[in-house]
Amino acid sequence: MDRAVQQTDYDAFSCKISAIAKKYLPCQKQVEYCGMEDYAALHMAYGQGLKALSRRAYGKIQKAVNSGLPLMNYGTYLRTLAVDVEIMSFLKQVPKNSKVQIVNLGCGSDLRMIHFMSQYPQLTWVDLDYSESVSVKAKILKSNDCFLKTLGPPQNTDDAEYVSDRYLLRSCNLNIVENLLDILKEFTYPDVQTLVLTECVLCYVKLPQSQRLIHEMMSFYQTGTWVSYDPIGGEKKADKFGSIMQANLREARQLELPTLMVFNSPAKYSQRFEDNSKSTEIRTMWQYYVQEITDVEKNRLKSLQFLDEIEEVEIVLSHYVLLKAIW
Amino acid sequence: MEIDNDVAMQDVTEERLDPTLDEDASAELHDGANSSEGPGASGIADHKASKPLQLDAGNIGQLDQWIEHLGKCQVLSEEDVARLCKMAVDVLQFEENVQPVNVPVTICGDVHGQFHDLMELFKIGGPCPDTNYLFMGDYVDRGYYSVETVSYLVAMKVRYPKRITILRGNHESRQITQVYGFYDECLRKYGSANVWKMFTDLFDYFPITALVDNKVFCLHGGLSPMIETVDQVRELNRIQEVPHEGPMCDLLWSDPDDRGGWGISPRGAGFTFGQDISEQFNHTNDLSLIARAHQLVMEGYAWSHQQNVVTIFSAPNYCYRCGNQAAIMEFDENHNRQFLQYDPSMRPGEPTVSRKTPDYFL
Repeated sequence: MDRAVQQTDYDAFSCKISAIAKKYLPCQKQVEYCGMEDYAALHMAYGQGLKALSRRAYGKIQKAVNSGLPLMNYGTYLRTLAVDVEIMSFLKQVPKNSKVQIVNLGCGSDLRMIHFMSQYPQLTWVDLDYSESVSVKAKILKSNDCFLKTLGPPQNTDDAEYVSDRYLLRSCNLNIVENLLDILKEFTYPDVQTLVLTECVLCYVKLPQSQRLIHEMMSFYQTGTWVSYDPIGGEKKADKFGSIMQANLREARQLELPTLMVFNSPAKYSQRFEDNSKSTEIRTMWQYYVQEITDVEKNRLKSLQFLDEIEEVEIVLSHYVLLKAIW
Repeated sequence: MEIDNDVAMQDVTEERLDPTLDEDASAELHDGANSSEGPGASGIADHKASKPLQLDAGNIGQLDQWIEHLGKCQVLSEEDVARLCKMAVDVLQFEENVQPVNVPVTICGDVHGQFHDLMELFKIGGPCPDTNYLFMGDYVDRGYYSVETVSYLVAMKVRYPKRITILRGNHESRQITQVYGFYDECLRKYGSANVWKMFTDLFDYFPITALVDNKVFCLHGGLSPMIETVDQVRELNRIQEVPHEGPMCDLLWSDPDDRGGWGISPRGAGFTFGQDISEQFNHTNDLSLIARAHQLVMEGYAWSHQQNVVTIFSAPNYCYRCGNQAAIMEFDENHNRQFLQYDPSMRPGEPTVSRKTPDYFL
């Protein structure tokens, strides 16, 4: 099961590469609002690093990129943009020169830290994931100057992680909250403003463990913002999307989504965070597309690939949510 | 894979595992009418007959054998596909842009390579040729058995030309099939693009609309701002790749919409049309209904424009992911309509391990 979850990182990364290859990413908002530079080059450099370490993982990514359907590119574009914008909004409201922290739980191959750390010198970033993912990522990051120059010189000689003044990449099983808190106590401060990111992470954690994870994190940091992206099963009786998704992923990938049908609506998903938070906002990714993407941008997307699947896009994106909880 | 030259992944192209053509290549293919890769390159239409194919004991036996083979979800050999497509050209070239169809008939929407669900459709609707069928396009792409599905339907068309009508959908196109799976499936199952070339050359001959008992206008997508009368459809030259714009494109791509008038389609081709447009078209042409497919609808069928338009979608649990029902519409001698809904077949005997997982964001 852990391996099945860990493997989802390659799905996410290959989707991102596909969206970059087809020019969905980076978009104007990522460049102008989020200040992201060298977006394609950094991701391609990471892809090259992965190729040197694991031909198999690289091959999987290559294959996924070549068959990248418009629907997947749309969803990847929206998910990436939505999270980037939330992180940037959070960073922009932090007083200048105040310390600030971002904890990316289940970071996988995500390279966001490069883009945000290069813009915010007072930002400390923590990337945590399974040891397999972390050791591959640490090796790739250490092997290329384009990553090293932002992350800072690695302090230790341990190949399986990356520790610098401002960046920590370490292995951690998120199912065991005690281990997680030990790491965070060592590297972060409870009284510094903190953003916690879980992008397709909570959906793989069992119900009691996931609720405990949320509770403990929100108790440990005095103030913070939680940004979470996950699938939801759907609450209507006729809506079979969630049960089919569970069956498909169980059968083909031995991948379990234990809370997909528990927190099956935006309201229920949001409730997970409400005990501890001052405010929560949640939207489905379809709502995000309809509300946040300008007509000009929609036309740009349309010009990239024929999208003959708009009804399907609505169904699929209505089953993914972006949550922001502030405490 | 399209990528800027200034980013460091140049050797990507040389070790592509999956030889999907990129958009540039497909544009070349589409536009290069004179090259050996262009439309007609398969040669299936090089020796067209001057009158419709005559069925005799010999070719009936051959067709029945193919149908039996295909019915088990087994592909024909490349040589047999070539023979089948040549026969089909000599049936379809004599059909009209607005193919007349008699009642009773059962009208079906998108199938999209979901072969086992097509077999379920024939169980629900009754076997062909005992039941007459009208399919409104989109036989290929997305599902895992596009080759088997389109081969089966074409073989049935040649065997029972008066009993089954197969219209062209927007996926019966060289360009779209290179994005959505049929091209890759042909490469995987035959080791070359030859079968894809034959079928996409054949698609150019498919009729684009049908008229059931002069009252129900059937087509894949919807109306076009350049078409006011059914007669104007008759004047089109349909024997070509689906164009990017213009009346033929619109008929295969457009959608009805809640907003009145003509609107910009979210799909990048065709238009949206409002109830005012549908009412005017039906009135002008003395029609009772426009039946079309093209859009996924959760119950398998959906009325719009106060019953001036019906959408029929016949691929249950579309892409093995959407959880929708499928439907077909029976239209009898008295012009009564009845919808039959159905769920995905159990797909007995289909090895689940070889099935690709539907895509999810993980």
